[in-house]
Amino acid sequence: MSENLKSIVFALSTAVVCSLLLTVAAQGLNPLQRENAAVDQQKNILKSVGLIAADRAYTAEDIKHLYAENIRCIRVDENGNVVTSDAADPPLLPVYLYRKDGAVAAYIIPIDSRGLWGRIHGYLALEADGATIAGFTVYKHSETPGLGGEIEKRWFQDNFKGKKIVDRQGHFAAISIVKQAKLDTLPAAERINAVDGISGATLTGRFLSAGLKDTLSEYEPVSIKFRTNRLLHLPADAERCETTP
Amino acid sequence: MDNLISIFLNSVFVGNILLAYFLGMCSFVAISKNLRTSIGLGFAVVFVLTITAPANWLIYYYLLAPGALSWAGLPDVDLSFLKFITFIAVIAAMVQVVEMVIDRLSPALYNALGVFLPLITVNCAILGTSLFMVERSYRFTESLVFGFGSGVGWLLAIVSMAAIRMKMRYADVPGGLEGFGITMIVTGLLAMGFMLFSGIQM
Amino acid sequence: MKFTKSKHFKAFSEPLIDNNPISMQMLGICSALAVTVQLKTAIVMGLSLTVVLAFSNLTISALRRVIPRNIRMIVELSVIASLVILADEILRAFLYDISKQLSVFVGLIITNCIVMGRAETYALGHPPGLSFMDGLGNGAGYGSVLVFVAFVRELLGSGKFLGYSVVPDAFYQAGYQNMGFMLLAPAAFIIIGLMVWLQKTLSGDRDHG
Repeated sequence: MSENLKSIVFALSTAVVCSLLLTVAAQGLNPLQRENAAVDQQKNILKSVGLIAADRAYTAEDIKHLYAENIRCIRVDENGNVVTSDAADPPLLPVYLYRKDGAVAAYIIPIDSRGLWGRIHGYLALEADGATIAGFTVYKHSETPGLGGEIEKRWFQDNFKGKKIVDRQGHFAAISIVKQAKLDTLPAAERINAVDGISGATLTGRFLSAGLKDTLSEYEPVSIKFRTNRLLHLPADAERCETTP
Repeated sequence: MDNLISIFLNSVFVGNILLAYFLGMCSFVAISKNLRTSIGLGFAVVFVLTITAPANWLIYYYLLAPGALSWAGLPDVDLSFLKFITFIAVIAAMVQVVEMVIDRLSPALYNALGVFLPLITVNCAILGTSLFMVERSYRFTESLVFGFGSGVGWLLAIVSMAAIRMKMRYADVPGGLEGFGITMIVTGLLAMGFMLFSGIQM
Repeated sequence: MKFTKSKHFKAFSEPLIDNNPISMQMLGICSALAVTVQLKTAIVMGLSLTVVLAFSNLTISALRRVIPRNIRMIVELSVIASLVILADEILRAFLYDISKQLSVFVGLIITNCIVMGRAETYALGHPPGLSFMDGLGNGAGYGSVLVFVAFVRELLGSGKFLGYSVVPDAFYQAGYQNMGFMLLAPAAFIIIGLMVWLQKTLSGDRDHG
């Protein structure tokens, strides 16, 4: 009987010691981890508007400084109206504003699209004309390395720069990822709404296109405001968002 | 539904848990010497994976994830750092159950698998599938299909390997390459073959 | 007694080459290969495993006389899992970018056959000092294989070493292209196979079939 008792006592003490140790460590390291995640998010937002060069190393302080200097944050409701932080009525859409010389140079929207293997997270930056893409970055995905995983590469993201989310008539057209072959056969007018896909990653491209279209539709009211020059000036209460990792 | 089929097909072929993500290699190298045992072990892995993936999903999303405990009135608690240890405990328990079932249903297979049955517990593929499922934020049905698909993929890989090794008995392999070396190279070729499936369109 | 001849040093040096966990004992391949696309991640992974292995061996060896036999495996798993969780938390706090790239593979150290294997076959039967050295040795042996594979893959696959381009532009102008295949999964298998061939041939034929 005492054999089993010994086992139980030992098992319990192991459990207690391990739990204590881990909880202390997790709690203690949590602030550092959250700050890392926050700085990481700021870095990705800065990257999408080209404020960070991909091949230079930046310290956390550099990033926090750049972010505080250049980025402001607002929340909008589904009609594109800016909501102040006092009125708490979810679901609100976050918009990051790149402010340059006192005016808004670009607005950045978070992308959370379905991918082939999991979600694709990134940021899409649009110029203040509400129609041209200023930049696109992907910072988290679970796609196959070498295939869908190429979406994290510069060459793929650079293809988005200069493309438009509206067609010639000014109607919403989103941005699509199409096969190289199909891209060549598109009339020039439509090519401005499409980017070259990745060979061997058709499905990733398809899912990402759908995800981008969904998010851009959600943010269409905001884009329309930019197109009609109604959001160029920084709202007085645009402040730094609580960046949630 | 379409999504579930694509998750399944991808976890079997292009994203094969063994050939693309290198998980489950240890028992793979050792057991693939014998075709019969490979099939038996493969099916055991399929079974364990299909059960543990959704089980771990439930535990993660109702107990461990940040905000998971809100049904118990503790919305601020984040126990996600315990996921490694909880998942492995669930897997160990599941493997114990599978062991008993196999022992009851087929003592011959039980003996043939020997020590490799309890070693399924530490088969990286099992824990890896649960961890990937969390990382990719799958829903419940997706985790079920993913677990099943990963298992089938692993089964396919080990059975193919066993069949190839059987044929290789007649090949004249250089001394230094024998055993582990040639198995690795053949696995590489097998992995290349599986990558060809990436062109499939549904 | 000279240090290099001491038992402790032998416990450390043997697993480096002669009894290398990956090429000779054939353990721990699982989590090894996926992180070998870049040298940086391979080094961090190797170090993480070495630390976990050394301390797990140490702990289990220190407790070896009190662990009740019937819950032996569970206790070992708990110790290993706790150490891995600690390692993961520390990585996420201090080496965030790398921890993102390592993703689930740090957690998979728990199921790494080397750790469990050494705990069972060595730590339970040897004193803490020797067990610690054995852990360090096996970890170093594992790490060196990882580093070798990663070095080849990164150099041939992206022309870089530790993230810095080392292939001169002149080569690229002359038509040299990075061997993209090296960045894909199958390459890792083949490189290990060739490496094992080399090692076994150099050390004379060993009966490990």
